[in-house]
Amino acid sequence: MIGPGTGMLGEDGIHIDMNHLKSGEVNLGTSIMAINFKDGVILGADSRTTTGAYIANRVTDKLTQVHDTIWCCRSGSAADTQAVADIVQYHLGMYGIMNNEPPTTQTAAALFQELCYDNKDQLSAGIIIAGYDKRNGGQVYSIPLGGSLHKGPYAIAGSGSTYIYGFCDAHWKEGMTEEEGVQFVKDALREAIKWDGSSGGVIRLVVLTAQGAQRHLYLPDQDYRGPGYK
Amino acid sequence: MPGFDFSNYNRNAALHARGVPLPKATSTGTTIVGCIFDNGVVIAADTRATSGPIVADKNCEKLHYISPNIWCAGAGTAADTEFTTALISSNLELHALSTGRTPRVVTVMTLLKQHLFRYQGHIGAYLVVAGVDPTGIGLFTVHAHGSTDKLPYVTMGSGSLAAMAVFESTWKRDCTKEEAIKVCSEAILAGIFNDLGSGSNVDVCVIEKDKPTQLLRNYFKPNERVKKERDYKFARGTTAVLNEKVITKEEIGRYVTVHELSSGSDSDSLVVVEKMDVDEV
Amino acid sequence: MASIMNAGGLPSDQPGYSFSNASAPSESSGPRQHAFNPYTDNGGSTLGVTGADFAILAGDTRSTSGYNINTRYAPKLFRIGDDGDSSSRIVLSVVGFAADGNALKERLDAIVKMYKYQHGKPMSVKACAQRLSTILYQKRFFPYYVHAILGGLDDDGKGALYSYDPVGSYEREQCRAAGAAASLIMPFLDNQVNYKNQYIPASGTGHELQPRAIESLPKEDVIGLVKDAFTSATERHIEVGDGLQMLIITKDGIEEIYTPLKRD
Repeated sequence: MIGPGTGMLGEDGIHIDMNHLKSGEVNLGTSIMAINFKDGVILGADSRTTTGAYIANRVTDKLTQVHDTIWCCRSGSAADTQAVADIVQYHLGMYGIMNNEPPTTQTAAALFQELCYDNKDQLSAGIIIAGYDKRNGGQVYSIPLGGSLHKGPYAIAGSGSTYIYGFCDAHWKEGMTEEEGVQFVKDALREAIKWDGSSGGVIRLVVLTAQGAQRHLYLPDQDYRGPGYK
Repeated sequence: MPGFDFSNYNRNAALHARGVPLPKATSTGTTIVGCIFDNGVVIAADTRATSGPIVADKNCEKLHYISPNIWCAGAGTAADTEFTTALISSNLELHALSTGRTPRVVTVMTLLKQHLFRYQGHIGAYLVVAGVDPTGIGLFTVHAHGSTDKLPYVTMGSGSLAAMAVFESTWKRDCTKEEAIKVCSEAILAGIFNDLGSGSNVDVCVIEKDKPTQLLRNYFKPNERVKKERDYKFARGTTAVLNEKVITKEEIGRYVTVHELSSGSDSDSLVVVEKMDVDEV
Repeated sequence: MASIMNAGGLPSDQPGYSFSNASAPSESSGPRQHAFNPYTDNGGSTLGVTGADFAILAGDTRSTSGYNINTRYAPKLFRIGDDGDSSSRIVLSVVGFAADGNALKERLDAIVKMYKYQHGKPMSVKACAQRLSTILYQKRFFPYYVHAILGGLDDDGKGALYSYDPVGSYEREQCRAAGAAASLIMPFLDNQVNYKNQYIPASGTGHELQPRAIESLPKEDVIGLVKDAFTSATERHIEVGDGLQMLIITKDGIEEIYTPLKRD
């Protein structure tokens, strides 16, 4: 940013520091992703929350449910993303009751986008929305810092995602089985955690299909093979 | 008008721009912790309040009442933790009265996070919320910006690193009440002795299912002051009196209401709110 | 102590303010440069008191940075010119930036030792005090970030105490507190050593009241006062604590007393 206060216009264009965090704010210096597969979607995240160099929570759950089979991955400010997710959860809950029909993933994503875009100068939130609904099956949406909305076959975000663009591009396959999808997400997040200092801890996954939501947990002391692995 | 009064904001901003420092708020550069056990939850805190490098209060209370079965430990700006917990406690009681149900820990956590998020971190309250309710045992941290965490053991404040070191090295799952009290008080002691912002005594609060909550004020007192070497009693008349004026009770009674507290002259019958540390003669 | 005088504005007929009326340099105007900061404050406090035939220097042994304790035992008191034959009668105390304190101590110690080897007699406290001032002023534009107190016995065998500001302004005094808790300890010393604000009861009325006369305190009384000063400072200042080191200089040598302080 150039000059004090309002000056966002520099000699070489407009610069906006959107990565600002207030001092002492809790940060999700994250690795998060979500993918489409044959029968639905898979969301994945690391579990590290930091305040500066201190790990405030090493087993954070960054995969947040906003409706039965619509979930989101949160990155950026913990306070901002929790507040946004809470508001969306409230609206989707009301929607489900009023229309006697569950909301679609697209509706959820549109709600997230409205909040993130309208309040872009006050928020630091990077959110991935993934869900399964009867009409559209599995869908993945991404909302980066400015509040734009992108639909895609898969989405990666957070500080750790920069390390796995190549990995995802090289290993991505359309129409994977659940087993292949879980392996893809897990391997990608392992790589992100390995290289990104702000990511770490356990790997959490959520698989969303017509059968509902299924959680997975993979621990680092068992080489990310699962919680029960000996 | 409810809420905060901003009428001095512009004046203070102008003064600050001219180099007048902001007034120092009493900060509880604190160690606070919490830990769940098989039948409930324990929270604990040190008792030092500081203003910069000066100890403002050697035995303050950082464990705040929310409802009979929900308590809060507060770090950060002393006034903010005090007023925020009092406000939520008040709203919660009204909520409990109108719903006719016992309040839940998640409700407290949600009220706190929404209140703190609204003020974007300007209310410097860092809290550990703990309690039992009909849904079970609850233990959360709430940061000033409004983010929350749910964990089996938590620490906050300037001594949180020292205290977390104790938890990460000695905590065991499925612990008993006694074990939880022990690990919590040891975590506070680590803060007291290794963090300059924390000191004095250990306060503990035990909240258990179907049992009355126990507030163990000054559970440990590892920092009692040693006796002074010398006597500092001054002879009567040491201070120079330059001017003397007697205002009678009748005279002052014209401006304020005067209440007689005791009939006799013995000091025992006087109302003592809090005893001060005074040297014995 | 002279220190660097406050260069306040000239008196005028205008009403005065407790702050400069000039606009403070705005923080975000123009490019800002982040420079390396060579100094840190390691906290702690020291004090010195003299009597008729002794001088006492004392300091706590805690070293801090921020809210952390570096160590619970880092002495701030040093025997100067001590070459093993226990003939040294000079003690230096330094509080502030510990690294500068050590560097200053090393320099003064070497100089005092060299003096003895070259002149065949130990340096007097008076001479040492003047030399220390010179050492400090030599670094006028990159000062030793310390508040030093030098103690010893003068040519008449009386207790001598010299206190310094970081750039070498110095003064001989009866007593002096320095460091983090100086503002807590100094008023106590003023009252208990120099009997400031103490009057003789019933010696007169109003302004005719006689102030209590200063007397030379016995060693044991001063030791008691020093201990009380430090236990009290430990209660109310977070950077003071862990241990109290006292060096008592008499014609018979330098006696060291260590007493533990609270560690919270």
